[in-house]
Amino acid sequence: MARTLTMRQAINEALDQEMARDQNVILMGEDIAGGQGGDGELDAWGGPLGVTKGLYHKHPGRVLDTPLSESAFIGAAIGAAACGMRPVAELMFLDFMGVCFDQIFNQAAKFKYMFGGKAQTPIVIRAMVGAGFRAAAQHSQMLTPLFTHIPGLKVVCPSNAYDAKGLLIQSIRDNDPVIFCEHKNLYDSQADVPAESYAIPFGEANVVRDGGDCTIVAYGLMVGRAMEAAKQLSPKGPKGGVECEVIDLRTLSPIDWDTVIDSVERTGRLVCVDEANPRCSIASDVSAMVAQECFKALKGPIRMVTAPHTPVPFSPVLEDLYIPSAAAIAAAVTKTMAQ
Amino acid sequence: MALAETLTRPPGGRAARKAGAIGIIANPVSARDIRRVIANATALQITDRANIVLRVLSSVKACGVSHVYMMPENGGIRHHVRRGIDRAENQGLDHFPKVEHLDYKISGTVDDTLRAARQMREMGVAAIVVLGGDGTHRAVVSACGDIPIAGISTGTNNAFPEHREPTITGLGVGLAVSGRVPPEIAFQPNKKLVVRVGDHQEIALVDVAVVTERFIGARALWRTETFRELFVTFADPEVIGMSAIAGLLQPVTRQDGHGLHVRLASEDDARLVLETPIAPGYLRRIGIRDYRAMPIRRKFRPEIGDGSLALDGERELAFNETDDVTIELVANAFRTVNVTACMHYAAQHGLMRNNQNLNQHSSGGSS
Amino acid sequence: MKTATKKKSAPAAFPLDRAGLLKAYRTMRTIREFEERLHAEFAKGDIPGFVHLYAGEEAAGTGIMMHLQDKDRIASTHRGHGHCIAKGVDPKAMMAEIYGKASGSCRGKGGSMHIADLSKGMMGANGILGAGAPLACGAALAAKFRGDGAVGISFIGDGASNQGTFLESLNLAAVWNLPAIFVVENNGYAESTSRDYAVAVDSYVDRAAGFGLPGVTVDGLDFFTVYEAAGEIIKRAREGGGPALLECKMVRMYGHFEGDQQAYRGKGEVEDIRANKDCLKMFSERVIEAGIIARGELEAIDRECLAVIDEALAYAKAAPLPKPADLLNDVYVSY
Repeated sequence: MARTLTMRQAINEALDQEMARDQNVILMGEDIAGGQGGDGELDAWGGPLGVTKGLYHKHPGRVLDTPLSESAFIGAAIGAAACGMRPVAELMFLDFMGVCFDQIFNQAAKFKYMFGGKAQTPIVIRAMVGAGFRAAAQHSQMLTPLFTHIPGLKVVCPSNAYDAKGLLIQSIRDNDPVIFCEHKNLYDSQADVPAESYAIPFGEANVVRDGGDCTIVAYGLMVGRAMEAAKQLSPKGPKGGVECEVIDLRTLSPIDWDTVIDSVERTGRLVCVDEANPRCSIASDVSAMVAQECFKALKGPIRMVTAPHTPVPFSPVLEDLYIPSAAAIAAAVTKTMAQ
Repeated sequence: MALAETLTRPPGGRAARKAGAIGIIANPVSARDIRRVIANATALQITDRANIVLRVLSSVKACGVSHVYMMPENGGIRHHVRRGIDRAENQGLDHFPKVEHLDYKISGTVDDTLRAARQMREMGVAAIVVLGGDGTHRAVVSACGDIPIAGISTGTNNAFPEHREPTITGLGVGLAVSGRVPPEIAFQPNKKLVVRVGDHQEIALVDVAVVTERFIGARALWRTETFRELFVTFADPEVIGMSAIAGLLQPVTRQDGHGLHVRLASEDDARLVLETPIAPGYLRRIGIRDYRAMPIRRKFRPEIGDGSLALDGERELAFNETDDVTIELVANAFRTVNVTACMHYAAQHGLMRNNQNLNQHSSGGSS
Repeated sequence: MKTATKKKSAPAAFPLDRAGLLKAYRTMRTIREFEERLHAEFAKGDIPGFVHLYAGEEAAGTGIMMHLQDKDRIASTHRGHGHCIAKGVDPKAMMAEIYGKASGSCRGKGGSMHIADLSKGMMGANGILGAGAPLACGAALAAKFRGDGAVGISFIGDGASNQGTFLESLNLAAVWNLPAIFVVENNGYAESTSRDYAVAVDSYVDRAAGFGLPGVTVDGLDFFTVYEAAGEIIKRAREGGGPALLECKMVRMYGHFEGDQQAYRGKGEVEDIRANKDCLKMFSERVIEAGIIARGELEAIDRECLAVIDEALAYAKAAPLPKPADLLNDVYVSY
């Protein structure tokens, strides 16, 4: 039975259902319940944006508020995962990886390989990503490329509530470490979400719009912007004349090369959209792969639409400029179509 | 000494300025053993120890001690002491004596304490202030000869050093070494136990326990079923540790001309059972077979053939059937600064009165 | 109760029976032999990469691990061979791993610094200093959830004790009252830098106290001291008494890594360690002097350990190399 849920509710429901299914699933993070040790209400926050609200009382003893101590608790979650637990650790903002990155990329990511296949680390690290929240340079980054670069990690970034639930359930059941990126500007976005539990497999991109003229590859918040651009450019739209195929990558590692390549083989044109900074980004990664694999099919230059090579600015007027817009995506499509 | 003369002399006055150098041995690793886990013993932090040293330094300086030699250590005490002294110097204050650390390579073991005590004796310091527990004091006494010591309790059991604010210990030492308090009042003799296992000799300041364990291990004593015999120099019911057993049976003072020998037993064979604080917060039932005064200079031999000897609460020497083991009480073995006597003498004789700061009216109201 | 005490069973003179003492000696000797052999073989140039030897520190690892079972987990350091052997990892597989062979503990993918065997509770040597402390907290957390009385132990050197991960872990373990134990192997050197330079307060009991944990300092060269103290600390953690810290003061017989010329050492320091601070000698003298174990018995173990290492080395040298396809496998469980 599908209901309309926000992405926040969908994530909460995924956690709730997996905790009910498997006693080894535990949640850890700063203020994921909130109110610990104070005189007021417990589960006062349910996470800084209320995503985990209610789980503390539903699953006694399994929602662990942590000290502000990312190295220790992310590391402890990884250690517990190596010992048979399935921790879901909330890093709050992915930007905070700076203080615990060693535990993620030198420990969790490498155990399996470095120990000759004899270890597994089924941990999920949930974190908020993305700009638009007026949270400035240290709370707004799209750091997905950094994690995607590292063998041993899986990287997920849903664009809607339905995917968020299914991908999070898959992340929890997955036996590898998963970085689960939640765009803070999507928490209130709504979609039809089935009440029952379901998993969306990794490495399967979603073609959210069919079109024969140009492929647009995007993920996270950018999927919506790409759709908006596609609508503007569609023969029925205000700018008229181009049918874009929009691909939502959903998972960045593993990545669904087949869907992307198939699409470009048909359209002959590619626009890669990424909210991350441009250098060594998901956009540049996809562009390079397509250039290598679909060289003959390409009818025009691949174009990338990304954030500029700057930190995320604070002032709303600047931040709005920083985030790739539907207009910028449409302009890129037009530009590649012109050649 | 005329009252007028006393009153015109500032604390640590002319005579005090001639006070000889003293030594300070502050053990950075006392109060670190397993009793922090099996009992709930304190773990005095390094900065606290350094602050104690600074308090003692202020006190002895006020009494005219201008030079202090310290044991070198790498635990961190010296750094904090140095910061305190530097700050005072930067402020132009003359709060502290000149402090010099002895110059030798630090071993991080009890050898540092032994070496410091020996060097201080050779240098002829007027007294040694010791920060540590019973074990540290024992090490100092074994090497310091006739140099008087003043103990500050920073260890675990601490039956030997008296519990007192170190500022006062420092004042007592300062008054004693400056000659302001007559030596016969300032210093007192103490007993010790001499333990021989074959050719090897050790001492104990408070107690020697005979236990059945044949290894030294974590040193501390807490398995009461291994206890067999106990010899004490003095027995104070107000202290904890092995000597508390004797203290609760029959108190013996530090000045009495005898010690106490207690034979222990399992509860079934015991004549009486004693509830005893043998470690901090650690009360245990101890079975007592008998006890009797331990005379000076009589050699005792343990009743068991194999076991080990714990000196002042720490297993130190293992022995077996082939070893000749003796335990002997010795009187007038070493001197301590009698801080209580010094402070009372100081009060009675107005040694701490500073004429310059007093108006005539109040200066008249002395004893 | 009365009949039980009437039996007057003599209280144990040693904390371990003969078999236990022999086992402890065998473990320590195996570690020593393993490391001495690596020292010799490394000089020949046959061993890839770099190795950090545990020689001289055997009493600490062994004294602690004698109390552990497979369910208890340890997070080790870059100097992890001794921890591995004491925790029950197969020396043959270890040696093969150090030679980069396919039959190594990690199929030749980890090397000296990453030997692990989770089935033995060995969560890995670790090339990142201080990284093991949070992992051990995680192991302790998992044990707490399972309620199986297991403990998680983090080994850390005096150098890495300055890492934030270690200090954060002390706090986390205290906050969650985890059955976690932090063992500081204080061998006096952070690589080439003396602890006297790099550690402001060289008292790990103080650090523990700063986070509300009890701490104990022991002579890490004395097996019996470590064994007894570790036993009490581990028992306390198993009983729900919470985390604690054990500082073992010890020495490093060799350099930071093999090939280290050790110019930073004082004159005669290494010789003094060999002559007066050898934990194996100390152990042997104690048990022989006490008349519990004859010198001949220990010498027989020495020969057996030698044979074990001979065999391990021969096995490692003859073992097959990884295949090209191994480059790509075991990155993920599934991808």
